[in-house]
Amino acid sequence: MRTKMVGAIAVVGAALALSACGSADPAPAPSAKADQFAPAAQDEAGEITVWADATRVPVVKAYQKAHPEAKIKLVTYSGNANGATDLQTKVQLFDRTGNGWPDVAFSATLSDTAWAAFGDKPYAAPVDKVIDKSVLDGFAPGALDPCKVGAGTYCVRNDLAQVVLWYNKKLLDKFGYTLPTTWEEYQALGEKVAKEHPGYLVGTAGDPWAPEIYLWASQCPASTVTEAKNVTVDLKNANCSRMVGMLDKLIANKAMSKAGVFDAGFIKNQASKVLLMPGPSWFGQVLFNSTFKIPKGEIAAGAPLKFASDTATYTGNVGGGVWYISSHSKNLKTAGDLVSWVTTADEAQANAVTYPAYTKAAALWLTKQRDSGYFAADISPAFTQAAEQVWPGWSATQYSQEAIYASTVVPALNKDQTIASTIDAWQTAITNKATSLGYKVN
Amino acid sequence: MATASAPARQATGVRGHRKPNRSGYFFVAGYVVLLIAFGIGPTLYAFWLSISNSRGQLVGLGNFTRTFTDYRFAAAFTHIMVYVVIWLVTLMVLVVSLALMLHGRMHRTSAALRFLFYLPGALAGVASVVLWLILLDPTNSPVGFILRAFGWDSLATVILPSHLPVIFTIIAFWTGAGGWIIVVYGALNSIPPELVEAARVDGASIFQIARMIQIPLLRKWIAYMLILAFATGTQLFVEPQLVSTASFGMIPDGWSPNQLSYLYAFQAGDFNGAAALAVDLLFIGLASATVVVFRGGLFERE
Amino acid sequence: MVALNTRPSDTFPSDTSQSGSHLGRRTPRRRWSTGAIAGRVTWFVVTGVFLLFFALPVVWMLLAVTKTDSQIIRGHPFAIGTWHDFTQAWGNLLNFQDGAILLWMKNSAVYAFGSLAITLATAIPAGYGLALTEFVGRKLLLTTTLVVMIMPAAALVLPLYLEVNAVHLTGTIWSVILPLSFYPFGVYLTYIYYSSTIPPDLLAAARLDGCSEWQVFTKIALPLARPIIALVSFFSFVGNWNNFFLPFVMLPDSQQYPAQVGLSNLLAASAVFNTSAGTENQILRPELALAALLTILPVLVVFLFSQRALLSGMLAGGTKG
Repeated sequence: MRTKMVGAIAVVGAALALSACGSADPAPAPSAKADQFAPAAQDEAGEITVWADATRVPVVKAYQKAHPEAKIKLVTYSGNANGATDLQTKVQLFDRTGNGWPDVAFSATLSDTAWAAFGDKPYAAPVDKVIDKSVLDGFAPGALDPCKVGAGTYCVRNDLAQVVLWYNKKLLDKFGYTLPTTWEEYQALGEKVAKEHPGYLVGTAGDPWAPEIYLWASQCPASTVTEAKNVTVDLKNANCSRMVGMLDKLIANKAMSKAGVFDAGFIKNQASKVLLMPGPSWFGQVLFNSTFKIPKGEIAAGAPLKFASDTATYTGNVGGGVWYISSHSKNLKTAGDLVSWVTTADEAQANAVTYPAYTKAAALWLTKQRDSGYFAADISPAFTQAAEQVWPGWSATQYSQEAIYASTVVPALNKDQTIASTIDAWQTAITNKATSLGYKVN
Repeated sequence: MATASAPARQATGVRGHRKPNRSGYFFVAGYVVLLIAFGIGPTLYAFWLSISNSRGQLVGLGNFTRTFTDYRFAAAFTHIMVYVVIWLVTLMVLVVSLALMLHGRMHRTSAALRFLFYLPGALAGVASVVLWLILLDPTNSPVGFILRAFGWDSLATVILPSHLPVIFTIIAFWTGAGGWIIVVYGALNSIPPELVEAARVDGASIFQIARMIQIPLLRKWIAYMLILAFATGTQLFVEPQLVSTASFGMIPDGWSPNQLSYLYAFQAGDFNGAAALAVDLLFIGLASATVVVFRGGLFERE
Repeated sequence: MVALNTRPSDTFPSDTSQSGSHLGRRTPRRRWSTGAIAGRVTWFVVTGVFLLFFALPVVWMLLAVTKTDSQIIRGHPFAIGTWHDFTQAWGNLLNFQDGAILLWMKNSAVYAFGSLAITLATAIPAGYGLALTEFVGRKLLLTTTLVVMIMPAAALVLPLYLEVNAVHLTGTIWSVILPLSFYPFGVYLTYIYYSSTIPPDLLAAARLDGCSEWQVFTKIALPLARPIIALVSFFSFVGNWNNFFLPFVMLPDSQQYPAQVGLSNLLAASAVFNTSAGTENQILRPELALAALLTILPVLVVFLFSQRALLSGMLAGGTKG
């Protein structure tokens, strides 16, 4: 009886091994062609389904209040935050059955465009065909870059997370230091702090987004998409090694912590010892105020740093959300109207939790921040400057740089290795992940 | 349908010479409908997915060879094999021992203890992320003193790759053991107390009673537990996903084969590769199930 | 039957110390020999260690809901908080999307009890049929059930979704209730229970007495099934209550979310896990712990109910030697 079973299995196995009518390789998804966009039959009075995360629900409700004639069905979901892939998972299933796509969807993951604008019938509609060009031109330069594929723009940026140089003005004045303007000065200051005031920090390297703060600002080509799904990954480039070298030195003399800023241990023991911290614009309220509970009047933001040999200043970006309009939507007019309103209207963005990507709304947002009186000095110059200096060469890929850094480099750091020693493994990890998602790596 | 009222000649009381009757079909009918709709149907579709490509063409073993050469495949299966060994031994030994210990005397204490042992099992994956985020962080964890005694002073040092199989075993045991203790405890209740009493009177020690009476009579339950524990062990998903979320991604998202299958399906959009990996896991589970079924006599009846 | 080794108990420590004599004693008297004390102490130590292992984290959670987030991070793990902080956490949680957590729990109850009803109606008779009746295909059914149980769920998501969509049930509660009521684990538990506790002679006698098959089931097997019904109900309810992936995939409307899906959204909206969530909704560690505890409450209640049925039924079991 058992030998018969084994025999049957062997025969089936052999048959399978021999039969192959098609190729097992998954078909590569072609990128969307904006000029081939053909909207579905439109109904301008129809109901639209909007998927938003909990933080964006109030602003969608505000739109409904301001436009009572619009019929909106609001669904709350995770917003794809913290590595979740809810939107992608659901859209895959909807694609298979041919119905169910939300007309408008918010996503906290910039890299969603890397799948949403690809495929035979991509989910994302080219927003430049739905929203006025004049509106799209009002966004900060580079804000819409993660949304661009080929000639089209496939999402609208909700907020920016430009990296600025946060510092504790009170401590800085107390120690008698001046704020650095170049990375060389930053490193020198770090070494000084390690000698004169050990225990105080100028940065952290254990956060998953550390590459986006440091390597992005250094213009390191960790993942530069050249077209569609071709990507360049070169961690051995001089731009990368100069920053890695600096980080390793600062970690070695303990001016830079190996922990992450949201680690419970860091919050408990080292939050009050942060002297300098290059970080995104949302650090101000979320990290320093709510989490670290640094008192009023101590924290301020300086302009991003540059390397002395560079001609222009570039900075990084850690996050930001985007709004998608479904290419299958039956009411593109209302969908487009909603998306432009929530990203540009003063009402929607002035009290937002993060820096608006739309320039005019950003100016109003900065006034409100100034009025709140939390910061030691006006953060507007640093924020507005940094908003225009985000380096365009760090692409939003379908794979997460943060996840790769967190699982490859951070464990090595915690085994007391240097970042430089992990470069090979790190590069291989990025290349492997990229290839597994259909990218061609050079 | 139920047979008419002339059953006297249909069934006999002699063991092993039961004549088949049609009432059996009636009893299993409802379940069989659900089985076909939600069990067999989707499983067959998954099999089909594993041997075809996204355009519907047959590709034989192509998906299997393709996923086998994936750079994460070897690592994932190694991880899981190490984990399963630790997990199975821990689970079987501790669950049976604890159930036996609780079954001895002191019924009210035993009930309270069973409840407390079960408590963690009620905390399903999502609900326990908060808990494990704190538990694994030596600075303010309730078990911080244990972690610090090992020399680990931060979350990152606790979840280094080499520690993971043990950590996941602890988490999985913490959530899963309670339920199995209840099952085995319930099974122990079905052993006639006279047997145990007679043995005790004859001077057998509790170890002997356990070894020679209780465990052999629990053979089927233990076999069932072994099959399921092996299958859930090889299909580990929740625990690595949980620690990955709680630690902002410090462990790779394809640590276990089941996670890898999930990535294939929902990140790469490759349902065929995902199905191939699922079938791999299925065959591994079935292989062990076959061994246990035949040696444990799960399908036999007294 | 298993042969009993009637050896004197002097080789191993024993509860009832009967050094040597094993004739005629029906009620062993307890003497506190060192062996017995050692045994007792070991029992207490071992159960104590495991009690701490299982219960300590839950105790932490219970205390956490009475503290502020800052105290949880900076203070001692087992410090007790204040009633004020507890009401604060409670208020923050209820504020989240206007009491969404209560809606989620109501949805979970509907799905869990709905599937439980169908599960009991199908699994108990099926287990009985597999154990105590004979029909062609019995072993096939057992094997198929086992195979399907071992199949990883991730691969079944797509086919299930396509199936439910094909009968136009997506978005309705049936898209969750029906797949959840398929519970092979329960069928196997019932099968094992019936095949190991009810002797076929009992049924044969009933049949000889003129009972139809249905009567045999309802008059003999079903009354004896109280413990297994309790067990299967319990596990089915808990499995349904804790299921995340099926409702996540099937339900497009956030008003229909069960507790598990709702909780994952709560987590994603919390500043603890999501750095872009902002600081308005005040869902931090105490609120998350409270939400987690709330969602396990029904499970614990069901546990207590079913344990009583389980125990009482077992003791009244009609097993004959």
